[in-house]
Amino acid sequence: MLVYLLRRILLALPALWLLGTLVFLLSRMIPGSFAEERFLNAEASFYNKNSQSSREEAYREYQQRTGQHLPIFYFSVSSAAIPETGPDLPEAVQEQLQQSYSYLLPKFSWHGTHNQYHTWLAGILTGDFGTSYRTGRPALEMLWENIGNTLWLLSASMLITLAVALELSISMAKKRMQWLRRLVLPALFIIDSIPMLVLSLLLLVLLANPDFLQVFPVYGMGYYVPGHLSIWQELGQRLQYMALPVLALVLVNLPYITNQVYNSLLASLQSDYTRTAKAKGLPEHLIIRRHALRNALLPIITIVSDFLPALVSGSILIETIYAIPGIGRLLIDSVLSRDYPVLVTIILVVLVVRMAAYALADTAYAWADPRIKQKLA
Amino acid sequence: MRHIWQIIKSLWRNKWGFRIASTYLLLLLALVLALPLLPLPYAPNFLDLQHPFLAPFTAKGMAAGHPLGTDGLGRDVMANLLFGARTAFLISLPVMLLATFIGVALGTTAGYFGDYAFRKPLHNVLRWALGFLAFLYYGLYLPLKLHQLNMGMKTLVMPIGLLLFTLLLLWLLTSVLLRRFLLWQRLVAIPIDKVVMRLIEALTSIPRFVLILVLASFIPPSLPLLSLLLIFTLWPAAARLSRAEMLRIKQLPYFEVARSIGNSPQQLIWRHALPNLGGPVLIAFSFGLGGLLALESTLSFLNIGVPTTLVSWGRTISSIRGNTSAWWLVAFPGGFLSLTVLALYTCSHYFSQIFGSRNGQ
Repeated sequence: MLVYLLRRILLALPALWLLGTLVFLLSRMIPGSFAEERFLNAEASFYNKNSQSSREEAYREYQQRTGQHLPIFYFSVSSAAIPETGPDLPEAVQEQLQQSYSYLLPKFSWHGTHNQYHTWLAGILTGDFGTSYRTGRPALEMLWENIGNTLWLLSASMLITLAVALELSISMAKKRMQWLRRLVLPALFIIDSIPMLVLSLLLLVLLANPDFLQVFPVYGMGYYVPGHLSIWQELGQRLQYMALPVLALVLVNLPYITNQVYNSLLASLQSDYTRTAKAKGLPEHLIIRRHALRNALLPIITIVSDFLPALVSGSILIETIYAIPGIGRLLIDSVLSRDYPVLVTIILVVLVVRMAAYALADTAYAWADPRIKQKLA
Repeated sequence: MRHIWQIIKSLWRNKWGFRIASTYLLLLLALVLALPLLPLPYAPNFLDLQHPFLAPFTAKGMAAGHPLGTDGLGRDVMANLLFGARTAFLISLPVMLLATFIGVALGTTAGYFGDYAFRKPLHNVLRWALGFLAFLYYGLYLPLKLHQLNMGMKTLVMPIGLLLFTLLLLWLLTSVLLRRFLLWQRLVAIPIDKVVMRLIEALTSIPRFVLILVLASFIPPSLPLLSLLLIFTLWPAAARLSRAEMLRIKQLPYFEVARSIGNSPQQLIWRHALPNLGGPVLIAFSFGLGGLLALESTLSFLNIGVPTTLVSWGRTISSIRGNTSAWWLVAFPGGFLSLTVLALYTCSHYFSQIFGSRNGQ
């Protein structure tokens, strides 16, 4: 089993490297960076009445500091005659280009290890993920600060969703519960078709609004209190703020998960061992809980392992709407300000978490069903 | 295709849920197409700064000509609602159609040929590989660079001419190679299945929403680029589905018969496999369209990848950030959006009932 896990991780590494490289190169190759907008755009800065030359000087200095003046990759293929300056060429060069046609020839140049990609990769291997363009702080540190809130949110919502989905499916699977099925299944279908955006905003408008019902505090994850709080006090404060976001996440995820659990429970209620248990004279709730449910739990492992990579994507909207400083919020902020080092780091973290989730799912499968263990070994 | 039409007709006759959902969708489509002809008191982007955050159905709102109220900048909610539906459909339908088309094309080819069945002579492979490199430089890089520098038409024509010349030269060269050396006649199998599957895996290993957000940060906000981006991230679903279906169809007796009487691969895929693929693809299409509508609204809510002048449900919803008691900004566009998604999911549900039970037999 351990060998299998190790092999999986080793196989995942090249994919991780390739994807990370792709995202990095793409982020650097596209023109129009954060700094270009900040420094070179004359209209953007209202108070700053510097001349064009000093602005360019500042831009160059900034690029030197962050290492962005270096070539991007180990080699580059460019046109032989076009110099790699900005978008504005001097007149003389343009004239020359028009006449000589030398720009048609490709030029292959080798830059050696002194390039942006090499520094980035070397940095990552030593644990340095670059510094944010926006705040000037290490990207990993920013990520680390925010990941806690997202983790709280997601684990709470996952636990509640799973518990509710299990209980609902168990009750719906009983013979007498026809009325519950009639009620819950269409309701879930309708909830499923309300987009997350609308659902969470509706909850915000209805339950955290002085004009309707102001039941929950929202925006953020608690407030500053002078002095030291005990763990329970802090938890209580946090829970109040988390209630609405968690409710939104639960409602969004519940239909899909309940459907999966219910279907797999129905399938295992059709099987032979259930018939045996019935013939033995066990009461219905024991049949379901003791015999059918255990076998129906296998698909849940997949669902939970799919939940983990949603560390980011699942809560982007929720965090933006409820102003919770988590990973999703960080992602949105970085996207809006084109903060590529942070974006690339977030992508890398998502990929790592995803691979870890797959490995965990395999282990959990082997633990839940010993037959799989033999296949893997 | 006729078979699918029959199924839709029988669904229409027997299921009232399907009838309601599809009537709603058709009406909405008609409204969207006829919208520019309708007389509306305000254009969707008109700023009525005298009346910001006007509540709906109030005497003041009715008097000002905003029956459904206004948002924070005084834009009429009703006009935004109707034109938002137009934007949502005009983006989502073509994007979903194209993504499904690309996905089905790649998926069926991958499923049909597998890793070994697609064989080409080596000189052909060389020609394509070198031709692709030449295209990247002369067809993409140079024209883009020259266009950036504003060098005029003459310099833009030159690379294209050179590209054609290079391709011709390559063709001649590989033909000579072919005649001189037997090595170049050898058939090599191109592992289409592996390539497509690796691509799909790479694209789906990052959650789709994150991928779209990150890629959208690399490009300037514009509608065509965003549509390309959405297509780029949406095709794997259709490709995976049609590949699996193709693998199933390949095993069926009728397909074997069709192959044994000597149909060409194109004919096999087009005439014999695709009609059978229609059902599952239709289910995925209507389901995916609902998701795409929600995604489009979300992106314009976050104001990522779309220009701010784009009229959209998401933009109207996003004005609620300025004033959380303006419930009408969420209720109307959100309700409209949810209803549309619900109608699409209902259609998808009925399709999957029909096609799912047929496949199970």
